[in-house]
Amino acid sequence: MQWFDALVQGILLGGMYAQYALGMALMFGVMRIVNISHGDLVILLSLIGISMATAWGLAPVSVLIILVPLAVLMGWVLQKLVLNRVVGSDPLPSLIATFGLSIALQNLMLQIWSANSRSLPGHGIESQSIEIGGIYIGLLPLIVLAVATGLTWGVDLMLKHTRFGRALRAASSDVEAAAMTGINPRAVYALATAVAVGILGFAAVFQSLRSTVAPADGPAQLIYAFEAVIIGGMGAVWGAFLGSMVLGISQAIGFRIDPGFGVLAGHIVFLIVLATRPQGLFGKAST
Amino acid sequence: MSAISFATTEAPEVLVQRQTSSGRIAMTLAVLGVVAVATMPWWASTGTIRSILVLCCYIAVAQMWNLLAGYAGLVSVGQQAFMGAAGYALFVLAQTYGVNPFAAVFLSLLVPAVLAVPLYLLLHRLDGPYFSIGTWVVAEVFRLVASNLPIVNFGAGMSLRVMKDYSAFERNVAMSLLCAAMLLLTVGGSYWLLRSRYGLALIAMRDNPVAAASQGVNVAKLRFLIYVASAVGCGLAGAIYFMAQLRITPGSAFDPMWANVAIFIVMVGGIGSIEGVLIGALIFFIADRWFGEYGATYFVVLGLMTLLVALYARTGIWGLISKRWDAPWFPIRRKLVDPNRQ
Repeated sequence: MQWFDALVQGILLGGMYAQYALGMALMFGVMRIVNISHGDLVILLSLIGISMATAWGLAPVSVLIILVPLAVLMGWVLQKLVLNRVVGSDPLPSLIATFGLSIALQNLMLQIWSANSRSLPGHGIESQSIEIGGIYIGLLPLIVLAVATGLTWGVDLMLKHTRFGRALRAASSDVEAAAMTGINPRAVYALATAVAVGILGFAAVFQSLRSTVAPADGPAQLIYAFEAVIIGGMGAVWGAFLGSMVLGISQAIGFRIDPGFGVLAGHIVFLIVLATRPQGLFGKAST
Repeated sequence: MSAISFATTEAPEVLVQRQTSSGRIAMTLAVLGVVAVATMPWWASTGTIRSILVLCCYIAVAQMWNLLAGYAGLVSVGQQAFMGAAGYALFVLAQTYGVNPFAAVFLSLLVPAVLAVPLYLLLHRLDGPYFSIGTWVVAEVFRLVASNLPIVNFGAGMSLRVMKDYSAFERNVAMSLLCAAMLLLTVGGSYWLLRSRYGLALIAMRDNPVAAASQGVNVAKLRFLIYVASAVGCGLAGAIYFMAQLRITPGSAFDPMWANVAIFIVMVGGIGSIEGVLIGALIFFIADRWFGEYGATYFVVLGLMTLLVALYARTGIWGLISKRWDAPWFPIRRKLVDPNRQ
């Protein structure tokens, strides 16, 4: 029963990771870029949300309604000012640029919000739970998982059925050919990053409701997102979702074995997957 | 069938010029610099020796990162894994097993060398930018393992108490000699490598890996060798740095700050050149002394500078200088000179 409980908690934790991993999978799939400041953006949005909630007494839903458009705008600006200049076959410029941005953001947040951990007041929602067959399931983690599923489903539908999704898939498989058929890659990229960072707006609200956030937490979130994407297999957005579940379950079981072992268990599963199935658990082997 | 006869042309007699006058001046200065570092106990205070030691570690780590990112195209943000591993190996050998600490510095280099082989085999499966984050995960794994490992005293860290058996002067002599050796191995070694046959291959690889492979350069093997060599170089810097610190904890041993330092130095100084590393290290060292007290604000500026260099000046300061004046400090080109035309 204890292990079944760990499994359930792991899946719920995976719901949180899926929200980070989705944006990363989208950006890498389209632009072959990894944004090292990915985790720092979540933390920045969380801290903005917490400050708004405390200053104006907003409920989490109102924070979400303000934060998501703000995140979309941030993503668009990031693409226009930084990423559009470094997108290309050489991974070095984009890595260095976003690495510098990550250092700057972390220390700027430290300056503004100090190193303290904070969380978003949830007005009771964070402590409610439902009992199913002897296992207590937190209401909030359940909502997180539901939202993660909804977001993944939405992005998948968008990629398959909308004009923008088709442009995105075209640009990701061959950017020059896509440009010849009248797609403006820079506009597609800007929208893709806006969507990816917009999803982080959801992640920010749920992260700060579920636990605490501090300015130095970003890199850990980046690493979890990355591990989820690699475990699941690059390419499909559902891969990132399932990878998040595997990572969440590994960590939850690790925490049951020993509290000092939880995060390490996730890393070890990641390394095992890399050693035995480099294309990811759910990815197709490339030739 | 008639054989096509080639006109017998003799290859013109040319001289291969490999050194320039700017290179000779710089080489003299570099030798003097290494001698000055080696003889520090006789002219510098203990405080100065400490500062120079840190500068030497910056140069070594940055040059190792430069070999990886600048020539082999492997952008690592996890070289601190090897610094910490060698640092811990030194502490365990010297403190727990009673090996002479100065011999242990060199013995401890086996650990990063042995670890780098399987790690590279794992990590090279990751594509471009994902490789970088993979190296970071490895450094995190090392940190967490060290926090759970009894032999390195878990998260509480270790102290190098055996150093008290040596007088302050003896320690200073050892530190200075180690620093000089580290500079010779990392910077001197890279310069030697770049002037050798492998240097040609490395530079070809830096400019275009696909074209280099088509010319017979074994890109995969060379990348592997550079990764292992860089791990050992970073390990040496880590062992010397933590020997001077006398204390090591998982947090300090595997501090991502080192990735930060290496990237800043190489990008601002100029990637793919030894001159750039020296310029960048000096700038960072001075900035750290002058502005370090501003804490977070200082790092915001550092981060933004790295961002701006990546956006607008990818070749860094040395790139701007060498565009204007053709006076390399460490020339690696082969220039053909016809003696009859001079």
